[in-house]
Amino acid sequence: MEPYIRSTDITLTFTPKNRDAVTALKDFRIELNSGEFVSIVGPSGCGKSTFLNVLLGLLKPDKGEMEIGGKKITGPGVERAMVFQEFGLLPWRTVLANVELGPELKGESVASRRPRAQELINLVGLTGFEGHFPHELSGGMKQRVGLARALATDPEVLLMDEPFAALDAQTRDLMQAELLQIWDKHKKTVLFVTHSIEEAAYLSDRVIVMTKRPGRTKRIIKINLPRPRGYEMRLSPEFNDIKLDIWNNLKDELNARE
Amino acid sequence: MGFKGLSESSVRFLLGAGAVAGFFLVWEFLLTYVFVFNPFFITKPSLMWGATGDLILSGELWKDIYVSGTPFVFGFAAAVVIGIPVGVVMGWRRRVAFTLDPFLTALYASPLVALAPLLIVMFGVGVKGKTILIFLLAVFPFIFNAFAGVRSVDNLLINVVRSLGGKERDLYFKVILPSTLPYLVAGARIAIGRGIVGIIVGEFYAASEGIGHALIWFGDMYQLAHMFVCILVLMIIAVIFTQGLRKAELAIAPWRTQETR
Repeated sequence: MEPYIRSTDITLTFTPKNRDAVTALKDFRIELNSGEFVSIVGPSGCGKSTFLNVLLGLLKPDKGEMEIGGKKITGPGVERAMVFQEFGLLPWRTVLANVELGPELKGESVASRRPRAQELINLVGLTGFEGHFPHELSGGMKQRVGLARALATDPEVLLMDEPFAALDAQTRDLMQAELLQIWDKHKKTVLFVTHSIEEAAYLSDRVIVMTKRPGRTKRIIKINLPRPRGYEMRLSPEFNDIKLDIWNNLKDELNARE
Repeated sequence: MGFKGLSESSVRFLLGAGAVAGFFLVWEFLLTYVFVFNPFFITKPSLMWGATGDLILSGELWKDIYVSGTPFVFGFAAAVVIGIPVGVVMGWRRRVAFTLDPFLTALYASPLVALAPLLIVMFGVGVKGKTILIFLLAVFPFIFNAFAGVRSVDNLLINVVRSLGGKERDLYFKVILPSTLPYLVAGARIAIGRGIVGIIVGEFYAASEGIGHALIWFGDMYQLAHMFVCILVLMIIAVIFTQGLRKAELAIAPWRTQETR
């Protein structure tokens, strides 16, 4: 089967003012099938988030290009949406207005975007909080809004940039389980960047381990665990073997000094 | 103390009003019983009360407020309408900022009231000259605060709106302007003060009516009670505008006022 998302070797170098140039990505290549859940793990600063921004269309690579559904990516598009680590909610908008942002920017009328926004708010469990402002919400609730907002444009691909990293451990477990449910129901393609080996193993069909900067693919690990995955599965020996496998691939990258 | 059961806003009002009343009472008391009262040197609240009655009954006060208020409103409105877009565009487009910066910095730093005589020569002592002076004084806080506000915009929010298909226009109206709002309110406070300076200075030279003119004229005539009433009126106008601003901020920015409270 043709992969749904495909990149040729992506290279991207940042040249900050008064600093040395930093090559964030070098010949990074990825293939994603439609409906697949893929995680990227790698050391800090390996270019994971940079890659998501390229895929989102906010950054242009120096070399290489990306294709989605056979079409070259030249900028942001409705078939992709991002969930950001720091939520990125507009503080002056209520929950409802934040969720409606995408459709609103596309010029959809209130009549058509409102019922859908309400549906998504219900889906992420925020019924009754439509009129709240972000500062009145907890971190977990904020990221629920972030997720609902990303889903509101009905994208094919959900890009998630360490979405649960700012949450406490319990909220995080809860959100992971809910994300899997939503993914199962809506059949989106998900590309999920994380620092957590456990999170990557629990959620994904495949885990891409990246090298230290400049980031390239070190290994792709297939997670052959049955779905739906419950919390108990995380305690099984198979699950631990997978975590160990990811860790063994990752640890050299963490220790290595430039 | 005795404030139990009262809401915070009533306590605030009672204490504030009480302090003002107390201030006038002490003033009256000191000049009546403690110091020798010299009407060419200072006045006291009871005389100001009479002067207020005078000015109101003769209709002069209203006329002066109208004469001074008109250019103030025009000048202030022009400062808002021109200053905010200029500051926002400067903040968002660096080259525009680089180009305009030398002029604006020089004008903001220098005492613009020095231009007053020139403006009077060029535009006369009427509404036009005063409007331009008030505009010049009030526009810079808007430009610089809008500029600072835009520079403080969270880049993440820009990326969010861009990634969802937002265009330049959406960035301005859905991210930049709302983030800049608190800076604009702060700028407006400064602009009110500077605008009132504009009223007075604009009427120092050759004017024949207006609060600023009345102030000078009563001073020249040693009618200190009337003069003080004029000063008070200017203060009250400034307070009304500042309070109006606070109310307006409450209405248009509920998320902020809830945050800061």
